[in-house]
Amino acid sequence: MTEYGEIVLQVDDLVKRYGGVAAVDGVSFSVRAREIFGILGPNGAGKTTTLECIETLRTVDAGKILLGGLDVRTQAHEVKRIIGVQLQSSSFFDKLSLAELLVLFGEMYGRRVDPLTLLDEVELRDRARSQVAQLSGGQKQRFSIAAALVNDPVVIFLDEPTTGLDPQARRHLWGVIKRIRSEGKTIVITTHYMDEAEELCDRVAIMDAGKIIAMAPPHEMIDALVAGGFRKEKVERLASLEDVFLSLTGHTIRDE
Amino acid sequence: MRIKWMLTLASMKMFFRQREAILWTLLFPLLVVVLFGFVKFNGLGTIDMGVVNEAGPAGEELLSRIRSVTTFEVAEGTRDDEMARLAKGERDLVLVIPSGYTQGGAAGLTAYGDVEAKPQMTQLGGLVLQRELDEAAFAGAPGLRRTLVTTLPFKSRNLTYIDFLLPGILSMSIMQAGIFGVAFGFVTLKKRGILRRLWVTPIRPNDFIIAQVAMRLIVIMMQMAIMVGVGVLFLHLHFIGNMALIFLLGVLGAVVFLGFGFSLAGISKSEDQVAPLANLITLPMLALSGVFFSRTNLPGFVRSVTSLFPLTYLADGLRSVAIDGASFMQVMPQILGLLIWGVVSCVVAVRLFRWE
Repeated sequence: MTEYGEIVLQVDDLVKRYGGVAAVDGVSFSVRAREIFGILGPNGAGKTTTLECIETLRTVDAGKILLGGLDVRTQAHEVKRIIGVQLQSSSFFDKLSLAELLVLFGEMYGRRVDPLTLLDEVELRDRARSQVAQLSGGQKQRFSIAAALVNDPVVIFLDEPTTGLDPQARRHLWGVIKRIRSEGKTIVITTHYMDEAEELCDRVAIMDAGKIIAMAPPHEMIDALVAGGFRKEKVERLASLEDVFLSLTGHTIRDE
Repeated sequence: MRIKWMLTLASMKMFFRQREAILWTLLFPLLVVVLFGFVKFNGLGTIDMGVVNEAGPAGEELLSRIRSVTTFEVAEGTRDDEMARLAKGERDLVLVIPSGYTQGGAAGLTAYGDVEAKPQMTQLGGLVLQRELDEAAFAGAPGLRRTLVTTLPFKSRNLTYIDFLLPGILSMSIMQAGIFGVAFGFVTLKKRGILRRLWVTPIRPNDFIIAQVAMRLIVIMMQMAIMVGVGVLFLHLHFIGNMALIFLLGVLGAVVFLGFGFSLAGISKSEDQVAPLANLITLPMLALSGVFFSRTNLPGFVRSVTSLFPLTYLADGLRSVAIDGASFMQVMPQILGLLIWGVVSCVVAVRLFRWE
């Protein structure tokens, strides 16, 4: 059982409106050091918007966000220094190599980073001289995590990190994420993959229509559902198709 | 067969549902025709005659008679000014009406022209002038003395079209680099989310903008050095200017157009939006700022308005320095014009530029 630390992120009654619609409608939660905290929900639930508000990418209409003791709404610049972010839809400069990009991003935090060490963390050392466009989907995701680690952040935000990846790459990324946490980082992750949330998260908040409708460790939620009389409809099989797939194609990740 | 027709129809629907399509296929060609219609290309066949009237009222009648000759494109000025223009090739002939001239009097007139470089123009001009004077003499009273026009050779600098064109092209490339380079570059960065990724780091937006501006200025200066170098070495460019002044004008012009580029990048979400707007700004200037042909043939109102275009200031300034060896003080009007435009374009850019 991981030892969790003090609260590093506190969100109180966060509200963000677009036009007349509240994309985030009074969301509150807290995350402790070394936790992997997941935000789950269908598309349009407000997960990404919530994250963007905390990451200082969006202005907030109401509520309070404290990160590492800093008020995100008024001390955005200081907050940027201590967070690492992997954005869902974003990209990196075209004609620079992975190593050059990591060095450049390091400079943005006033740090001299060793790109090869960072690339080792995500097992991309052999691609140090390639450009991002030349990487496969899984490799791009791994690189953006490396870029999010450049400043040795206190909290890392991952927005749907395994969307679009094949089973091997997903599992591999899960391993990377767990390793990062074991090195002392706190991770906030959004996802709509249930198995990912079960596998990775210490606690999960389920969002829908801008509100958090449940928040607890995954196993507690499952226990509560079963205790309420729920039973799965089908007989639980001993193996799934994914198990077949992995047993046939193996666990080694395939990079082009 | 039907499928070909259906595909054609579908393509037409898709084409015309883009707003830009209407603008560029229908409105724009119309605009070009109208703009170019202003330029009096017929003027290119006439003789540019400068008249220096040192006889005051006594020369007025002669002056109006000369103006009525359709072959002549007449401009009046002081001796120094007109002779300078003759040297530059802006005049084909300069006629001097001396201070002692009277209708039918003894004083003759002198016309100056570069007989070597422009033999037809000078000779033709001299003949037409003489004819006009003779007609005036006959129409007055018989026996009135014939006033003679003597054509004197004048060595102009034999400037060619490249001397006119190269500074114009230089200014054009600065404009294109500033507007298109920045606008397209930033819109692509914006659209692909590259700027967003930067925004979560502590860097100040200004750091990035300054870096981009510096990079483009350096590239523009390289462009200028290469173009002038090639012009002088291979194209017989009569370059007599101060290279430092050339760079100064280039930088001032670049700042103006970089500002426009940032403004466009701020209000556009994709390359499809940028292109028509960028063209809307650059094409009228390319047509009317004296890049490809001289502005002397433009009608008065158009000429006055277009003289305020930033590209006009830049092209005129570069041309004066490169070809006429103008000094810092002599291009002060252009420098001031570019500075004012620079301030305007930067203010607008700051207002309009958006990261997302």
